[in-house]
Amino acid sequence: MASAVSSSLLFATGCADKGSSTPAAAAESGGVAASSSAASDALSAGPRIAVPRPGPAGEWPMAGGDYSNSRFSELDQITPSNVQGMHVAWAFSTGTLRGHEGQPLVIDNTMYVITPFPNVAYAIDLRAEGQPLKWRFRPENAQAAAGRACCDVVNRGAAFYEGLLIYNLLDGHTVAVNAQTGQQVWKTRMGDVSLGETITMAPIIVKGRVIVGSSGGEMGVRGWVGALDAKTGKLLWRGYNVGPDKDMLIDASFKPFYDHDKGTNLGVSSWVGESWKQGGGVAWGWVSYDPELNLIYYGTSNPGPWNEGQRPGDNKWTCAILARDADTGKVRWVLQVTPHDMWDYDAVNENILVDLTVKGAPRKALVHFDRNGFAYTVDRTTGEVILAEPFVNVNWAKGIDLKTGRPILNPEKTTEGERLVKGICPSLEGGKNQQPAAFSPLTGLFYVPTVNLCMDFKARPVSYIPGTPYIGADAPESRGPGGYGGEFIAWDASTGKKAWGIKEPFPIWSGVLVTKGGVAFYGTLDGWFKAVDAKTGTPLWKFKVGSGVVGNPMTYTGPDGKQYVAVYAGIGGDMGLLIAGDVAVNLPYDVRERGTTLPGLAKWTSWGGELFVFALDR
Amino acid sequence: MSAMRTLRALAPHLTLAVVTAAATIAFLRVGESPASPQGAGDSLRFVPHPETHPVGWPSHDKPLVLTNPYAHDAKALGVGAKLYVSYNCIDCHGADGNGSMGPSLADGRWHFGGSDGEVFESIYEGRPDGMPAWGGRIANDQIWMLTAYVRSLNGGRDVSTQNFSGRAVERSGH
Repeated sequence: MASAVSSSLLFATGCADKGSSTPAAAAESGGVAASSSAASDALSAGPRIAVPRPGPAGEWPMAGGDYSNSRFSELDQITPSNVQGMHVAWAFSTGTLRGHEGQPLVIDNTMYVITPFPNVAYAIDLRAEGQPLKWRFRPENAQAAAGRACCDVVNRGAAFYEGLLIYNLLDGHTVAVNAQTGQQVWKTRMGDVSLGETITMAPIIVKGRVIVGSSGGEMGVRGWVGALDAKTGKLLWRGYNVGPDKDMLIDASFKPFYDHDKGTNLGVSSWVGESWKQGGGVAWGWVSYDPELNLIYYGTSNPGPWNEGQRPGDNKWTCAILARDADTGKVRWVLQVTPHDMWDYDAVNENILVDLTVKGAPRKALVHFDRNGFAYTVDRTTGEVILAEPFVNVNWAKGIDLKTGRPILNPEKTTEGERLVKGICPSLEGGKNQQPAAFSPLTGLFYVPTVNLCMDFKARPVSYIPGTPYIGADAPESRGPGGYGGEFIAWDASTGKKAWGIKEPFPIWSGVLVTKGGVAFYGTLDGWFKAVDAKTGTPLWKFKVGSGVVGNPMTYTGPDGKQYVAVYAGIGGDMGLLIAGDVAVNLPYDVRERGTTLPGLAKWTSWGGELFVFALDR
Repeated sequence: MSAMRTLRALAPHLTLAVVTAAATIAFLRVGESPASPQGAGDSLRFVPHPETHPVGWPSHDKPLVLTNPYAHDAKALGVGAKLYVSYNCIDCHGADGNGSMGPSLADGRWHFGGSDGEVFESIYEGRPDGMPAWGGRIANDQIWMLTAYVRSLNGGRDVSTQNFSGRAVERSGH
């Protein structure tokens, strides 16, 4: 797999090819490579998805839809002109509460759903009326994990490989389940939950290797990514994100773009003493893959602890984007977007692989909307920052120096000396958090769910105690300038400019889906699922689902040939934790609003755990 | 809740906890305490959980009622507040116990009971949702001071099931 030739699937900017699929044709496209949309006039200069989806257009085979993490679908039955007729086709209760991040997969007319802790997997038969379960799988999953996860007990989805459904458990294991039977095929312990190592990310599978990364950056763990044999679960390699070159899988093939990132054992020398051993830098976000360059891309979390005074230095390679060889795991380049982080700006957000033109030059790029508030367009072959512009309110830095790739700090907003610093924007939730953006080659725009919060920050001394938080700061948050909570924006990564935006009363914690039909979908914490015109940003449709939305919408073609759109409703995650996380996971009846970062949110939503599936009226 | 949670809290030992910033706490047992908080000899007893004992059911053991030797000691309360930060309780349970990764300690609702003995037991033994067991790692005296502080956080407030008040609550956040 993964041998899709990039050039076979091109999309022209503004191309509105309507002739590609009748419902019947789409229904028969199962098993056929989705090359139907290779428009003849597609060789334009417009941005395009670097690695289009390898399988049928009507399936959703991996977390991000494709290896580029574009979350673009070629399905086009639902359009701006008919989306008003969208209604709930069916729904499914996951049987769990807490934050329903992530998205289902659809492969061969079966939908696969992974719940938050305890990470139950469901296989739903889409062929039969009433969507009966083919099976359910309840893994062994240590209860202690529920209290060791910093930011709710979420799971961001599964991967699929040759009849195996593969996903991560909160207690630090990766598990493979027979997709036909629901029987466990293998299970591998990847992290130590007693130390606070958990796993929440969605793995991707590259050439038969399962790429997995750890969570626990608030617990003083040391981050890594690993590769497992998808057939057996055997660990093939593990590369740490901090520490000596040997542990990091760094050798002579390491070619960072910027001079200050060159050298040996920088993952040790950029820390004081042995502080790197509790240095964080976990990889809890999304992984992308470029088969042509044979590189995987992912970001690393904040350094530990948040109190920067306890870890002088750049703290490499925390808050960084890493490119590793997909076969060996060797690090090819690193871009540390926030050196010596002192605001909790994890760099784990998705890297969307696109080919686009900047200042007249075609570039193989990755586009990354960082917690630190800057949108980076990066050369994915070298790690060079092509451009970096703020996409939300930013005041901690005055800009990104393109000569070094480093931020130009605002001295008023640094958090040194355990002084109280007021009004830092964005807050520790970031201008955007894990909720993934989408990219449409038809418009050339990125659709980005953003957060408009600022924070006060005061560091305090903290001791490392294994299995407890290693944070050392208080950072209350409140809405940023303008008083809105978030904004759904369309972004041009060739110019670094916002095309349009839709303000929301609460931070947007759902991911985005954009389709060839020209519709972008997202959900809100107050429980709306919305459709907007991908070109203009005109709101087209909304539906109030059963709980706040922190999941990522996806779309698929049903066995009846119709296009369906699905999203989880179930508030939680780090932001929704404010409402959902005030009690232990086994006490689901308590719905108090705990904090007031988001005053009034509890009026709009309560706990939930439900899959909503939408379709057009007949 | 199980009524069979034994309390080994009275095992006589003392731990030296190094409560300093930026230092890894060493869990070293350096000696034995001269006496347990409730007197020597009670090495296996049960904290009572009345809700698990219907009226009229026979009890074959005399329940152990633990009382906090620092219950009304303002100075100990202050020390407990400092320990709450030093032992990283704050980043799980939130500033002032308002909850974060772990449940709120300020809302007057207790998953495992809110009496002196139950809170002591929660700290000493840990709880299955991720609460570490501190018994044997920090001194029993310190656990009692933490218990005093934790029990003070509610301050007699009655927190309604749905709080729409919008009151400002600090959060350490992630």
